[in-house]
Amino acid sequence: MELVIDRVSKQYQNRIAVDRVSVKLHKGVYGLLGANGAGKTTLMRMICGILKPTGGTIAYDGIDVGEEAYRAILGYLPQDFGYYPEFGATDFLLYLAALKGMPKAQAKRRANELLELVSLQEVSRKKIRTFSGGMKQRLGIAQALLNDPKLLVLDEPTAGLDPKERVRFRNLIEKLGRDSIVLLSTHIVSDIEHIADEVLMMKEGQLIYQGKWDEEKGDLETFYLEQFGEECAHE
Amino acid sequence: MNNFGTVYCYEVKKILSRKLTGIVFLICVCCVLLFTLADLSGNYYVDGEVVDTHYHMFQVDQGYRRALSGRALDQQLLEEMAAAYQKIPAMAERYNLTDEYQTYARPYSEIFNLVRLWTQQWDLDRLQAWEPDEGALYGARMENLEKEWQAQHLSDAEKAFWREQEAKTQTPLVYYYHEGYRKIISHGINTIGLLVLLFVCICMSSVFAEEHARRTDQLILSSAKGKSVAYWAKLAAGVSVSGICAVALSAVTFGVVFLIYGADGFHASLRLCSYLWTSSCTLSIGQACLAAYGILIVTAVVVSVLMLVLSERLHSSIASLSVGVGLVMAGGVVQIPYQYRAAAQLWDWAPWRYLNAENIFDIRMLSVFGSCFASWQIVPVLYVLAAVAAAFAGKIIYRNYQVSGR
Repeated sequence: MELVIDRVSKQYQNRIAVDRVSVKLHKGVYGLLGANGAGKTTLMRMICGILKPTGGTIAYDGIDVGEEAYRAILGYLPQDFGYYPEFGATDFLLYLAALKGMPKAQAKRRANELLELVSLQEVSRKKIRTFSGGMKQRLGIAQALLNDPKLLVLDEPTAGLDPKERVRFRNLIEKLGRDSIVLLSTHIVSDIEHIADEVLMMKEGQLIYQGKWDEEKGDLETFYLEQFGEECAHE
Repeated sequence: MNNFGTVYCYEVKKILSRKLTGIVFLICVCCVLLFTLADLSGNYYVDGEVVDTHYHMFQVDQGYRRALSGRALDQQLLEEMAAAYQKIPAMAERYNLTDEYQTYARPYSEIFNLVRLWTQQWDLDRLQAWEPDEGALYGARMENLEKEWQAQHLSDAEKAFWREQEAKTQTPLVYYYHEGYRKIISHGINTIGLLVLLFVCICMSSVFAEEHARRTDQLILSSAKGKSVAYWAKLAAGVSVSGICAVALSAVTFGVVFLIYGADGFHASLRLCSYLWTSSCTLSIGQACLAAYGILIVTAVVVSVLMLVLSERLHSSIASLSVGVGLVMAGGVVQIPYQYRAAAQLWDWAPWRYLNAENIFDIRMLSVFGSCFASWQIVPVLYVLAAVAAAFAGKIIYRNYQVSGR
């Protein structure tokens, strides 16, 4: 199980969003840190195959990011994901399960399991437009897990969750990291400290730190603030 | 697992669950009902005074037309008609208000109107003086057809084709009551066509665009089937909703019109339909109605494909709606003169202008590999080919879409 990101770049007309990022990810949880505009979301979108890199390659166990087989092992929670207001939670999950190629019976079983996991089983038939921000975020997490992904990409997954839910979700990510590659981005450094096996830090499109973080290296938050102090102050 | 069926069902659900779809469809149904009933409502006024109701006038004329049904348009009928019209006093200010017209001539008014059209003679005095002659009438019709062919810049091959069609037609023609079909083909196809095109433009302009606006595109495109099955399922859903809308509105039109005007006259010659007197097409009026409404459904499907692809290309429902409605409006307003033969024909056969009987049963033809094809035969085929090409072009646009800059 290996995700190889090899010299991946994304250049817009006059701006380089991601600059020759190379990294190999194996089973485990990877925390992606960086200020706004550092290129985290762009990198994640390229890993999910919805944004073409200007240069470089991305492959999972030799399967290129552009292939259907790659997307079949992928789970993705975008930072600002949309929903269908007229759909119920179950319908939303069943629709996405169908798009992920899951058989109907399996999709139904899995949707029920996940609705229970994210505590939405009681409102499973209610229309999504009636959901609170936190409920929508939990539904987003559920859809990302539908196909038991081997590669799970979570962009700001704990945004909008209450503290209790956040802790619950942190534990869930930790568990998922035992069998798959989990890449999550967040501004909340403590989330990364608690669950990430490795830390990836991005600044101005480049990977400025990659590796395990232990107490010997000091406080992660202090290091983060040292790197992004000025940028964080503007956020 | 391909899951096309499941994804398709959810895509249909997405379209139908939008309030706009239901509202637009209901408005279309109301318009169809208004269109069919409008002619029969209200009064007929002369100098500000009510002379009759439109409904009563229709009932009277319907009775007279039914009485003529099954009679050959031959010397005997023409003589009866001429004798009846000669009873109308000369110099009458409004001949249709005279007792003589109401008593003797009105029962033959349908035949009289055909004679007027075929001879292109509109002056009553001259028509009263006209010596009924079956041969001269059909000859005059042919002569006027030749003039029309000339005016529309028909090629020699086209003229020869239509002459051949005319020669195949047995004369004298037999008159059959066909009011229902006349209503359906003369104005129905224009009205229903316009309504269906507007429904398609309004409801299909957001199918792809809304995914981008709602940001659900990220979830779809990152899923295994999101770059292939999702596209075709969306396309199929849009096409089927548009097709079903066209079928439903056509069915409502046929149902209501037949209920009021009757469904008799399926086998009547298309030449008897005043709106299409220049047509030399050998179809009966009933067959022509079926062909026209079949073409309406094909056009709805084709325009829906174009709108769906446009919606994906522009990523904006308002922009694609503007383009779609703009073209439909231009189709109703802009006319290219006949002398610019190719441009005029191309414009008249464009989907946003095509849906009216004159274009569907156009006397201008298309020559393909030496064979001449009538408009109603070739246009649906060209539309389907264009839709297939647009669908594949749309697939490339959809597949290459990049989620960025949010």
